[in-house]
Amino acid sequence: MKAAVVFKCTRNPVDAKVKLDGTVSWEGVKLAATDDDPAAMQIAKAIAGSDEIIAISIGDGDPAWAAARGAARTILVADAYAEAEASRTGALLAACVRRAPELEVVVLGDSSWDFALVSALIGQLGWPALAGVTAAEPAPEGLKVTRKVGNIRQVLTVAVPVVLAAAAGEEEKNPPGMRDILQARKKPLEKLKAADLDPALSAAETVGFRYPDTPSARLIDGKDPQAACVELLAALRADGAL
Amino acid sequence: MLTTARALGGEVVACVAGPASLAESMQALSFDRIIHWQVAEDLPAEVCAAEIAARAIREAPQAVLASDAASARVILGQAAAALKAAIVASVRSLARKDGRIIVSRATAEGKVLEDIAVPGAAAVIYDGDDMDAPAAVTAATETIPVTSGQMKVVETLAAAEGAGLLTALRVIGVGMGLGSKENLSAVEELATALNAAIACTLPVCNDMRWLADHNVVGSSHSQIAPDLYIAAGISGAPNHLSGVRDAKITVAVNNDPEARIFKFCDYGIVGDMHEIVPALTAALQ
Repeated sequence: MKAAVVFKCTRNPVDAKVKLDGTVSWEGVKLAATDDDPAAMQIAKAIAGSDEIIAISIGDGDPAWAAARGAARTILVADAYAEAEASRTGALLAACVRRAPELEVVVLGDSSWDFALVSALIGQLGWPALAGVTAAEPAPEGLKVTRKVGNIRQVLTVAVPVVLAAAAGEEEKNPPGMRDILQARKKPLEKLKAADLDPALSAAETVGFRYPDTPSARLIDGKDPQAACVELLAALRADGAL
Repeated sequence: MLTTARALGGEVVACVAGPASLAESMQALSFDRIIHWQVAEDLPAEVCAAEIAARAIREAPQAVLASDAASARVILGQAAAALKAAIVASVRSLARKDGRIIVSRATAEGKVLEDIAVPGAAAVIYDGDDMDAPAAVTAATETIPVTSGQMKVVETLAAAEGAGLLTALRVIGVGMGLGSKENLSAVEELATALNAAIACTLPVCNDMRWLADHNVVGSSHSQIAPDLYIAAGISGAPNHLSGVRDAKITVAVNNDPEARIFKFCDYGIVGDMHEIVPALTAALQ
């Protein structure tokens, strides 16, 4: 089955720099693989079987991430960058998918770093989709997909084409070593420009930053553990939590 | 979410995809109208996505709001594309200014709110507080039966273990600050004194094997809403916080005053959890 994996398309919130005036800078921050991207790769491999996997990404980071994990070739929109409003990024990724009309399944990480990216790609591609996916395999109907909803696991059959947003249940096992990465850099890489794909620029614009007006936590000094606990329990009892 | 939608003015319509019981629960809230796609028991809500998107074009809303539930995000994506709407996640509030919608979203791990001006329609994944908005009168409900789709639920497996965590009124969560599995005994004593369930972060289960998979709370595992959540030795990674954000009162115990969890909690003790946890048990007894 022909599958694509979308990877390294979001920014790690940890990398954001909050300046003294409260504005946020992403200067110098490269797009990063989320905790869910390896799960997306694993699911793509399970679906593809012996067929090749196409990797799709944006940004100026190392594009060999997916190739080092088994993707046969990579499509990269190098001059695109993750934006706070995700519709343009979704449109760019959807345009990349359409360049490979044989594709039947697109898998990406279902990361809370930016849930909007997943929704945007699903909408821009217009394919049926499932999120929170933990496993998938080929089935007579198309795919057999497992996803976690709260504490329940659902098994579904789905027709293709379909978009699957993968949620990691565990950290990546056996990530590729430097030798795999160096070999992956020799695999085919198709570099595109955003202008080649012609998605409309987002009309949304950031107009300001501010600190949340939510009350700060009441912090208790724990140097004297007994006194700190007495103070905490009194506060919790006053709130009706005990 | 309903209160946030009301901030824009105009009619607020609930689009519900699921069983009749879900639509009934929406009738208790103060929506102006409810459109209910009543999906057959063996179908997921996502089968309605294209139909809801088509309906969105007819209804032409200024904004579409969805929770971060997996099904809701899929449906939101299709509706956003149909409306050519801007799409933003982690949204805390909406407002209208100079003919544009101002979408306020949490960024930099929630330290800062970013205001984004959207000239057209906005589709947002809501991440703010939920407030009760009871209905004075029951909203009119339009029911649309959905009996087929390109997806089908063939099996549902309820987790046998960990169910108690989902319904527990008090939960103690432990993170890597626990240090070793042997230190769990102090947490278990506190849990007994507090009549609480024990939860953990993903690395405590996956990397250290100190607790089982059904104890993990986070976006990729269980989401809980206890009356009281005590986070002990937890730094506050986004994955974990999204699993406990519906807790009514959150207490953090961490020896790092700069730990992210202190931005998220109601009460915090800056101290060594290995001293605070036994002291808390003693104080309760």
